[in-house]
Formats: sequence, C-alpha cells, structure tokens
Amino acid sequence: MDAYLAAIVSVMLIYVLLALGLTLQYGLTGLINFGMVGFFAIGAYTSALLALHGVPVVLSVAAAAVVAGISAWPIGLASLRLRDDYFAIVTLGFAEIVRLTLTSEKWLTNGVQGLSRIPPIYEGTGTAAAFVIVAILLAVTVAAIFLIHRVAHSPFGRIIAAIRDNEEAVQAIGKDPARFKIQVLVVGSALAGIAGALYAHYVTYIVPEQFVALATFYVWMAVIMGGVGRVSGAVVGTAILMFFLEGSRFLGDFLPWISSVQMASIRIGVVGLALVLFTIYRPQGLMGDFTKR
Amino acid sequence: MSYLVLVQNGIAQGLIIGLAALSITLVFGIARFPNAAAGDMLTFGGYAGLFAFSATHSLLATGLAAIAATALLSLLMYYAVFRRLAGRSAVSLLVASIGVAFMIRAVLGVSFGHGQLVYEIELTRPYIVGGVRVSPLDLKLALIAFVTLAAAFGVLYMTSIGRQMRAVADNSDLARVSGIRPQRVMASLWLLAGALTAIAGVMLGMKTIVAPEIGWEILLPAFAAAIFGGIGSPIGAVAAGLILGVAQELSTPLVGFTYKIAVSFAVMCAVLVFRPRGLFGKAEAVR
Repeated sequence: MDAYLAAIVSVMLIYVLLALGLTLQYGLTGLINFGMVGFFAIGAYTSALLALHGVPVVLSVAAAAVVAGISAWPIGLASLRLRDDYFAIVTLGFAEIVRLTLTSEKWLTNGVQGLSRIPPIYEGTGTAAAFVIVAILLAVTVAAIFLIHRVAHSPFGRIIAAIRDNEEAVQAIGKDPARFKIQVLVVGSALAGIAGALYAHYVTYIVPEQFVALATFYVWMAVIMGGVGRVSGAVVGTAILMFFLEGSRFLGDFLPWISSVQMASIRIGVVGLALVLFTIYRPQGLMGDFTKR
Repeated sequence: MSYLVLVQNGIAQGLIIGLAALSITLVFGIARFPNAAAGDMLTFGGYAGLFAFSATHSLLATGLAAIAATALLSLLMYYAVFRRLAGRSAVSLLVASIGVAFMIRAVLGVSFGHGQLVYEIELTRPYIVGGVRVSPLDLKLALIAFVTLAAAFGVLYMTSIGRQMRAVADNSDLARVSGIRPQRVMASLWLLAGALTAIAGVMLGMKTIVAPEIGWEILLPAFAAAIFGGIGSPIGAVAAGLILGVAQELSTPLVGFTYKIAVSFAVMCAVLVFRPRGLFGKAEAVR
C-alpha cells in the first residue's frame, strides 16, 4: 500500500511539473501549447540516452531541460508573431513529428521497442527507496512552484500578464510581445523537458506510444479544471486528474464487462467532456477567480 | 513511370486533404477558430459511409448517407457546444473543439471497437491510360470529390446563403447591421463543413481503412493545407490540399513512408515564416 501510494504521488508530481509549465505558458502568458508532450518526450529521450551512455542522472536531467528548451525556440520564432491559434496548430504538429521521429529513427531511439533499463533516479529497492524518490521529485516540484511564483510576481511576470490580457497595449508601450512569448515558451518547455527526464528515470522504460497527443490534453484538463493561471490550480487540477486516471483503472477491474480497450475510449471521452464542460460553464476552473475568458 | 503512380496517389490523397481543409478554412473564416474536431468528423463520416455501403453497395447512397449523418453531427456540435461559446476567445472554442473531437472518437471506439474495418469493394480491372493503371474506383472517387467541391463552391458563390456566409467572413459586424441573421449563417456553415468532411471520410475509408484514429492523422495535413492556401480562402484550401497530397507522395522515395506528414508540417512552418497569409489569404487575417 505504501509503495502504491508512493507510485501515485511520484507520477502526480511529474504531472504537476507539466501543469506548472503549462500554467506559465497558457495561464500566465496566454500561449496555447498543444505540443506539451513533444517537449516532455524530448526531455525523456535525451536524459535516458545520456544516462544509458554513462552520464550521471543529475547532468542528464539538466541536459534534457536544455535540449527541450532549445527545441522550442524555432517553434516560437516560426509562429509566435502570428495569431495565437496558429501557434496551437504548429505545436500540435510538432508533437506528432517528434513522436514520428522517435518511432522511425531506430538507430537512436530503438523505435517502437523503446529504451529499457534506464538508470533510476535513486538506486535501491523497497519502500525506503520509493520514498527517497518521492522526496527528490517533491524537491524539484517545490523548486518549480517557487520559480513560477517568483516569475509571476516579477516585472517580467507583469509584462507577460499584460500580453495575455492586451497584446496591443504592450506593443503600444514599446515592448515586443513576441520576444517575451518566446522566452516563456523556452522556459516552460525546459520544465516539460525536466518532467520528461524524471519520468524516464522513474519508469526506467520508455516507448514512443507513451507520448501521444492525449497526454498533452491530460495536462490541459488538469490546468483547466484546477484554474487557469494559478499555481494552486495546477496542483489541485493534477490531483483530480490522478484520481480520474487511477479511478478509471480500478473501475475497469470492477466492471469486467467493459474491456480495457473500451475503457481507453471512455477515458478519452471523459477528457473530452471535461474540456467541453469546463470551457462552457466554468472557464475560470475550480480554484479560480481569474479574469473570465 | 513510378512517379506517375505517386502523383496519381497524391491527387487522391490531395482531394481528401483538400476537402477537409475546405471545411476547416470555412469554419476558420466564418466562425473564426481552427476546428480541431474536423479530423474526427471525417472519421465519423467514414464509419457512416461504411455501414451505408455494406447495406446498399451503392456509392451514391454511401455518399448521401455519410453527408446526412455527419452534417447532423456537425449541426449538433454547433448547437450543443460552439453556439454557447459565441463571443468568447478563439482559444475557448479551440479547446472545446479538441474536447468534441475526443468525445466523437470515444463514442466511435466504444461502439465499434478499435479494430480496422474495410469497405468491401469488389476488385475491378484497372484501365491502362498511357501505361499507368487507373482503377475505376479511383476515378469514381475523384468524380465524387469534384461533384462535392462543385456543389460546395456553388453554395458559396451562387446562392444567397453563400453570399451571406462570405459577408460574415469578410466583416461579421457589417454583415449583422445589413440584416444578415448570424444563426442561419452559422447553421448552414456547420452543415456544409460536416458534408465536406463526410465525403473526405468516405474517400479515406475506401482508399485505406476505417478506424477511430484515421481522422486525427489527416488533421495535421488538413490544417497545413488551410494555412498554406490562406485562411478563409476556399479555392486556396483545395489547391493547397492537392499540392500537399502530391508533395507528400512524391517525397516517400526520399524520406520514407513515415515522414509523409512531416512534409506537410515543414511546408506549413515555411509558409508561416515567409508568407503567413498563404497563397490566397488576406494579410490582416493572420496577425
């Protein structure tokens, strides 16, 4: 039971990191990143490959952040000077291309078989090791929360909030919104890269199928349910998401006449329904009093 | 010789992409958001057509049944979701359209499973035209695509409701003060958008397979074509769809089968960097 709890908390903390990245990008700045899972995948594969070639995990995770951040930069250059929804389409496409590349470039990624025996975050077995891993993930998450909080309350944070609320006004006072947006995109993607790296070292086995677009929208569901633009919202929303994901697994065991394939479809449908209902009836999320959209 | 075969496949693929892109560009131009549910509407049309085809074995009945079912679904989407979000930012509508897309896929997945279904079409002897084998089915599908496109352009450019749609796309406030009823325009828009994706779905299902994910995989090339052609430009969407379809097929000897979609993505990024308004779009629409 302790091990199960530790496992749930570990996965939840990794999702919280992703949700924080999206909170920075969408909640605070208004960037519609539909390719979160692409940067997550880049982080996972970068760190896993480096660690498999003998690089210490601390360094490989840092490298994952750098590579994911850098890979976001051209995406921003290509699309952040245009309408917001173009950026959404480009990031959505980017994540699909990342997954295609991971599947096809077998010399690097081992294709659909994926990478196994990735060095874990912390060597050791049993409950004690599981709790050490939770502590490490928690430390990273708290650091990220602190970072986002500091960013939100800095002069930089006021400018990105202004971009979200009225981009023309920011241009009128002589700031270049695209520059700030690209910076936010890079930082948020680096955070997703760290989340991916930690995920790879946590599960120690990754395949391209883990990085489908649905994962991006799990994070969106968490952020939208929790409350857009609030750090507490990212945490609460992720908790609800985990409850839903784990709950649907238990329900699958409990209702034997529903096959696991049908359960996967039902899960997709519930994510869709949540996105629709929250956008229509509670755009500010559960935690939010954030300016209504 | 083999290139001619690729071009021929590319045209078939391009017509599918073009029909989907036309649906996307109309919604983008008139309702003003990128409809991410277009792919799954297409899948829905593929399934509807499949059942009509196994019941009747008539292409005409298949097309009409798919159009009727998907246009109804599309209208339902408008009344249940998108109409309630009128006046909200494009982001809200975009996120909601993703939600709708997932719901359609979930219903199809639960109802018909994740297995691949196929249209049971009798094999026919291909015509040989200038050394290239052309199957009668491909010709019929191309004919259906052209008839659908002609009908869509007829509605847009030769009827009153089409003129009203284009007026709303041009300037929705001006359209409203000139007495155009937005509700009617929107309902017609969604019926048309649904009909176009339905035919794309039937064509895709007949050329390949029917499975819950087929539409999602065509969504990216369709978005790319809508942007390449210029958002809101119907002729641009179709032309860009054909260009991308042929380019994707011609690229397969160079980059391999899996990277076909990457060609569309690369073209889309290049268009966004160098000519964001696309082939036929208006410059002010993209900023």
